[in-house]
Amino acid sequence: MGSPITSWDGAEAYFTGAGGASPALLLILSVIATFAAIWYGAKHETHSYERLELE
Amino acid sequence: MEQEIADLTARLAALEEGAGWANTINMEVYYWWCTALMFCIHAGFLAYEMGASRKKNVLASGIKNILALAFMIPTFFFFGWWIYLAFPNGLIPDFEAGAYGIPWSDAMGPNLADNETGIFWAAFALFGATTASIFSGAVIERIRLSAFLILAIVLGSVAWILAASWAWHGDGWLLTQWGWHDFGAAGAVHMVAGFFALGVLINLGPRIGRFNEDGTVNALAPHNLPFAIFGLMLIIVGFFGFLAGCIIYAGDGQWTTIFGNPATLSAVAFNTLMCFSGGIISAWLVTRDPFWMMSGALAGIFSAAPGLDLYWPPMSFLLGAVGGAIAPLADKWLQKFRIDDAVGAVSVHGVAGFWGLLAFGLFASGYPNVAEGAPDTNLLGQMIGAGAMFLVGFVPGYAISWVMNAIGALRIPEKAELLGMDKAKVPVSAYPEGFWDEFPGGKVPAATPAE
Repeated sequence: MGSPITSWDGAEAYFTGAGGASPALLLILSVIATFAAIWYGAKHETHSYERLELE
Repeated sequence: MEQEIADLTARLAALEEGAGWANTINMEVYYWWCTALMFCIHAGFLAYEMGASRKKNVLASGIKNILALAFMIPTFFFFGWWIYLAFPNGLIPDFEAGAYGIPWSDAMGPNLADNETGIFWAAFALFGATTASIFSGAVIERIRLSAFLILAIVLGSVAWILAASWAWHGDGWLLTQWGWHDFGAAGAVHMVAGFFALGVLINLGPRIGRFNEDGTVNALAPHNLPFAIFGLMLIIVGFFGFLAGCIIYAGDGQWTTIFGNPATLSAVAFNTLMCFSGGIISAWLVTRDPFWMMSGALAGIFSAAPGLDLYWPPMSFLLGAVGGAIAPLADKWLQKFRIDDAVGAVSVHGVAGFWGLLAFGLFASGYPNVAEGAPDTNLLGQMIGAGAMFLVGFVPGYAISWVMNAIGALRIPEKAELLGMDKAKVPVSAYPEGFWDEFPGGKVPAATPAE
């Protein structure tokens, strides 16, 4: 994590963690968060409709 | 003398370096503002879709539209750009070319040696989000939000971008093998999105009350038609960003299309305005309905989109006029098959997009292509491409929604549909000061309680 560069001279990819393992971790977390949000939304949706059927 | 030559050489080198940077920065700025303008498409679709909904579903439609954009963007980062770079040859990926689009590539983040990837990725992400918004309007008022989001991701981050890799790429097989030309993405964006929507609509079924048993159609009127019409005009504004993003800014010479042939923004300006007008006028003559007049404007643009860089303006006008006339007629024809497309997305985007591709083959064959080995533009190439666009849109839309329908995950329960999706699951009210008093089913609380 953190800066992959120590100087701007000759710098190319300079995003946090470039060249290391941390971008992979952040990517995995982002993918999980995206699809978990859909899963959670589906669960809430089902709950809402089931509750409506009981009313 | 030698010192003067050395000074002049140094100044020339500095000037060249400055000019090079000006080109690079201008290119970034150009696509930045194209992308910003494309957000108007989404603001427009939001207004259009909420206005076209009945008041019991207005916020649910808005939520669906907003989330389509939100989920499209990260998934396009995760795999969409890789698909675009890896599949220009067909269904076998080119891992070497695709390497620049994998999320952990040096190009997929801040990089002082790469001013292009991010800005092109953003523009293409917005093109993809446009496909999801097109689909979104067709299925309002009865699709489950979670099902919609999965389908929107499949369309916007997989199907359309696969089509773009074939049909909107300098090395795409439709160009290099068949001489395909589609400047404004009538195929990759509009046909794919329109026929994806058709595939889903077949499995989703019509809204309750849309069709009578004898096949006659009931109008489920938009709750706010002026808002929907305003949204359509805003979409047109956004399309100027979209179409500007269809041209390549090299900075050191003439503009080119994605297919490599030289082009001018001037040509696109002539033709976009002319086909826009043609679409409105013919839709007015056919329907007298302002909703269809503005939809006709869109259909008019898609009808001429493949050749906006090449047509003579009166040809664009006439092609747009045909598109604006056939879109409402195609929508009526689809209703005979109990296809309830709430906003006419299949006809405006799918049918008009197909007409545009066919018309290009009929009227603009013989233009030379510059890609190595590519034949001149021709009717057969356009038809093969249109067939591919239909399949890339329709097949995943139909197949995935069929599975969702089979497991009961596609459509909301009947009771929720009758009551309204806002009341069923949205924690706030669109019109808390009086609109609910006409709510179907009798008296309901003025404000919806939080979940």
